[in-house]
Amino acid sequence: MMLDLTSTKAKIGFGATALVIGFFLFFPVYWLLISAFKTNEELYRIIPTVYPHTWSLEHFRYALSEGGLLLQLGNTLFVSLGSAVINCTMAVYAGYSFAKYRYFGRRPIMLFMLSAQMFPFGLLLITIYPMFTTWGLLDTRGGLMLSYIVFALPVATYMLYSYFSQVPNELIEAARADGASDLRIFHTIVLPISVAPIVTVFLYSFMWSWNDLLYSLTLIVSEDKRTVGPGILLTYLNDSHSDWGGAMAASILASVPVILAFMGLQRFFIEGVTAGAVK
Amino acid sequence: MSDMTYTSEMTAPTRVSPEARRGGLKAAERRFGLLLLVPALAAFGIVVLFPFLEALGLSFYAYTIEMSEPEWNGIDNFVEVLTDGAVISSFFTTMIFVGLATFFSILLGLGWALILNHPFPGRTVLRGLSLMPWVMPAIVAAFIWGWIFNSRYGLINALGMELGLLEHPLAYLSTPAGAMAAVVIAKVWLSVPLFMAFFIAGLQSMDREQMEAARVDGAGNWQILTHHVLPHLKPVIMVTVVLGMVGNLQHFDTIWALTGGGPVRATTVLSIEVYRRAFEQWDIGMAATVGVVWVATILPPAYFYLRELMKGTE
Repeated sequence: MMLDLTSTKAKIGFGATALVIGFFLFFPVYWLLISAFKTNEELYRIIPTVYPHTWSLEHFRYALSEGGLLLQLGNTLFVSLGSAVINCTMAVYAGYSFAKYRYFGRRPIMLFMLSAQMFPFGLLLITIYPMFTTWGLLDTRGGLMLSYIVFALPVATYMLYSYFSQVPNELIEAARADGASDLRIFHTIVLPISVAPIVTVFLYSFMWSWNDLLYSLTLIVSEDKRTVGPGILLTYLNDSHSDWGGAMAASILASVPVILAFMGLQRFFIEGVTAGAVK
Repeated sequence: MSDMTYTSEMTAPTRVSPEARRGGLKAAERRFGLLLLVPALAAFGIVVLFPFLEALGLSFYAYTIEMSEPEWNGIDNFVEVLTDGAVISSFFTTMIFVGLATFFSILLGLGWALILNHPFPGRTVLRGLSLMPWVMPAIVAAFIWGWIFNSRYGLINALGMELGLLEHPLAYLSTPAGAMAAVVIAKVWLSVPLFMAFFIAGLQSMDREQMEAARVDGAGNWQILTHHVLPHLKPVIMVTVVLGMVGNLQHFDTIWALTGGGPVRATTVLSIEVYRRAFEQWDIGMAATVGVVWVATILPPAYFYLRELMKGTE
């Protein structure tokens, strides 16, 4: 046991710290949840109620029927799944290539790809915008999908590189001796044992795309293609009015998919994301 | 298998076999390896390298919405940026934001990791739940904290008034310090979970026997913490500092949604500055120049991070 909590002083110190940080982390989530279920009359009070005295679904109903949220959620799901598939596919091959092949320039290329997450996304956007305009990709979901490569590909590649490096070479050599081609070995032997890291990487990419605001705000202009981040920002809190109940309800609906996706795979996920940084 | 053995295995690939097999490596195999890399490299060139180089080039041009073609401007943009009070103030605002957000994320992340490292019932569930803020869209964090800091109906105001500290609700987001506090708090809230995960992974590789021995020698909690735990976590702390700095230097979403860089320019960090210049004033040349300055601020921490990351590779 790292901390000895037998003395009262230690117990109080531990409990107080736990309470303060726990409150900071969880209370906002609680506040989000209950605010969404309050009626407007109860919501807009100078001294708020600690829990909804009347539970109401009006904000959810509004978000789902009037706010265009369903369409935005659909757009986001489409773009996020698409970009996750693109990212994952490319990262799978690139990661395997870095892990199992030796060629001239391998390390510099790898370093260079890893450095991508360090480029300011906003700076890239300055030139991606006119480039997409020229190519007819501006204001398209496909273009947005493509732009999301910036966010997740470097880390995704690194995570899969780390994993594939562990795959024993004997396994590959044995199959090679049997006359299987490299591509076949990768597809029939290596990929089936790599499902967990691949799913992790898929989710990682999915989350980045789902949670993005900057790129979707800039690269999508039409109302009907808008994704959920800029969608709820522009719907609920704009210059003319702010609808906090609606904003809270929409926030919950926008968070549910990522939270669900994350929950089932939490363990792998944390291992994958912290790999490389923690030794 | 504990989490830690898994992660350490992942970062220290087996070194024996590639060497052994190098002799038999055929050119065809090498070509195949490179071929696997082509899609990723191509995509990367299109959305990262090419835009970056082009932006770098544009930083030497005057290019605004009124102009049909960029015009060569030499280093004039840079001279303007370095003498322009607005950019300098954005630079300092960025430093304040990054410093505060990184410091508090790590402090709270470490504290929370130490608490969740102590066995108690429900710990695993709590660990999972703790990651929630990190998984949620940044815009949601902005909404939550915007609501808590609301000038009329916000929780902070209500608490202040209930406790007799305030007579009237305050419009925090309309004051420079209040707005900065709000964006820092929202970002810290988003980052604590990830840092906690890093620290928990780091704590799992602590040498228990060594700590037991120190206990027997009469070391208290504080000594254990400062003499054993922190030194052990030093590399992880370094990585989180660097990662936190890079992430916070890049950060745009919650700030944009919470304050839009305001009031006036109080929370206009470089990311907001570049965005405004590019997509509100459509001054592409200057936006690119400010962006290049922004890259320069990210380079030092990025260098350290990449060096750490590449250490584990062969």
